[in-house]
Amino acid sequence: MTFNDRIFGVLMIVLAIAYGWGATQFPEPFGGAEAVGPDTFPKLLAIVLAISSLYLIVRPDPDNAWPWSRTGIELIIAVVVLIFYAMLLQPLGFIISTTLAVGTLCWRMGARPVNAYITGAVSGVVVYFLFSFALDLALPLGLLSFLEVN
Amino acid sequence: METLGYLMDGFGVALQPHNLMFALLGAFLGTLIGALPGLGPANGVAILIPLAFSLGLAPETALIMLTSVYAGAMYGGRISSILLNIPGDEPAMMTCLDGYPMAQKGKASEALAISAVASFIGSLIATVGLILLAPLLANFALTFGPAEYFALFLLAFATLGGITGKNPVKTVVAACIGLMIATVGIDNTGVQRYTFGVLELFEGVDFIIAIVGLFAISELLFFIEERAGGGKEKMKVNKLSLSWKDIRDILPTSFRSGVLGFVAGVLPGAGASLGSFISYTLEKRVLGKKGAFGTGDPRGVAAPEAGNNAASSGALVPMLTLGVPGSGTTAVLLALLISLNITPGPLMFTQNADIVWGVIAALLIGNFLLLVLNIPLVGIFVKLLSVPPMYLLPIVTMIAFVGIYSISNTIFDLYFMVAFGVGGYVLRKLEIPLVPVILGLLLGPEMEKNLRHAMELSDGDWMILWDSGLAIGLWVFAGLGLILPYIVGPLLRRGMKATPNSGSPESD
Repeated sequence: MTFNDRIFGVLMIVLAIAYGWGATQFPEPFGGAEAVGPDTFPKLLAIVLAISSLYLIVRPDPDNAWPWSRTGIELIIAVVVLIFYAMLLQPLGFIISTTLAVGTLCWRMGARPVNAYITGAVSGVVVYFLFSFALDLALPLGLLSFLEVN
Repeated sequence: METLGYLMDGFGVALQPHNLMFALLGAFLGTLIGALPGLGPANGVAILIPLAFSLGLAPETALIMLTSVYAGAMYGGRISSILLNIPGDEPAMMTCLDGYPMAQKGKASEALAISAVASFIGSLIATVGLILLAPLLANFALTFGPAEYFALFLLAFATLGGITGKNPVKTVVAACIGLMIATVGIDNTGVQRYTFGVLELFEGVDFIIAIVGLFAISELLFFIEERAGGGKEKMKVNKLSLSWKDIRDILPTSFRSGVLGFVAGVLPGAGASLGSFISYTLEKRVLGKKGAFGTGDPRGVAAPEAGNNAASSGALVPMLTLGVPGSGTTAVLLALLISLNITPGPLMFTQNADIVWGVIAALLIGNFLLLVLNIPLVGIFVKLLSVPPMYLLPIVTMIAFVGIYSISNTIFDLYFMVAFGVGGYVLRKLEIPLVPVILGLLLGPEMEKNLRHAMELSDGDWMILWDSGLAIGLWVFAGLGLILPYIVGPLLRRGMKATPNSGSPESD
């Protein structure tokens, strides 16, 4: 099967065209046009990308299998965990969000749930204290901010 | 003997107590990173960059620490080759051939010690080579004009896949993607390019975020896919009994391989993997029937280790003198330089002499530290091999989050990093190499600047790009870099395929 490279090649050609078209829309720089304006380099890139993508479509490599079914779901879970981790880092605070994120990732990668969340909590606390005391950097405390000693 | 004077100054910098401390820390962390499963040198250095920033380290200290990490990771990579027959990183592949048989014969400690000594000799030779060659090359590079630089950057991209690379067109695609990302933001004529009015994009894409996302996050996703979370069995290592004679026996091999490896490291398109491959094959031929290669000959351990460590130090030569890295890890080190506001290239040797020579001196000191660390502490590093990735990788991911968050304290950067991670995973699945993407991000602005300068000098005549003999030479080599893999590649790959497959594809 050689779908991957072909599809990727088509997507890249679309990107090259959109990118090259984008370059033609730049306003003329202040001080008038020059031999090499802001659009020259992007146009060159668009041409090179389009040509090499064409090659990928004509001479694709054999495919690597994509992980459908369960592994695919695990991957999606991992990405969702990472997005939530970023989203909740400030509201929940570093320690709680790290416990949840690292714990869930360890668990989904095969650790026993209890061990997983203990790993998450310990690593969160250790890194928090390392950063705030040894390295003097403030990570958000979030929900735990009542513990803050001032 | 100007060089010697500079080197003395360099030692002055490197021997300052706090620099020495960070060199030691770096060497230790590096060996750790090399030994731990799922953390190659490029990956490890990438994660540590934001931390070096948020620590507020002085430029020379940050660079000394991360160069030590780089050197240390090369030491660490061999441990799993010898004990488990699984190369920790690609260049350590050849070490499996004789290292694992030695371990099976109950001589694991000897193999580890011999490889540490050989690594030391290889790095030492290469560092001396670096000291001799780098100033010459930097002087030569001062004669480069913008057109030559433009061609040099092209050469860097063209040879990045290496002559053993599979599909050079994919390298070109990857480079284009990287260069395109680099054009996002306000350019130096004040025009907004591809910002879509998003405020966070006005300053362009921070390459540190891209690097950490591409390496660290995509590695996590790969481990999840391969369900390789379980970790490896615990290994026991016998007590070390190494005589002076054993070391003396591997010395000639180590010297020869060190020199070869250094040459392979300096040349564009060769790199550490080829360095260890050539060293091993050549040594096998030199010793002929006198050696028992493939069945646990100590010299078969020494040759690839000396070769690969020499090559990785040699790879610093083009990075430091021309600002053009030849491998993933040196690209990451270049990222560190750029973000420390040091312009890499020949001028660095005059403008930032203390930093350059400090780093070179630190490399020499680091080698001694690594040798001292590696022989007695090998037991600790061996234990690390059995750390299950299911605990390790989530924690590494968390450290990547902390690092990126601590640079700017914005959540936007974290989303960006995750997006790069997913993108990196998809690219790796398609066998599109990630290193050219990163190099494109790093070199994009300089490349465009040189193109503009060249065109301003010639009043818009494109012929200036291949107007000098030097520029033509660079273009020819760049062309060869893309064509040779089709001709020589299959032959060399067949030679290397006889050996076990490498672990992670992105750690050169």
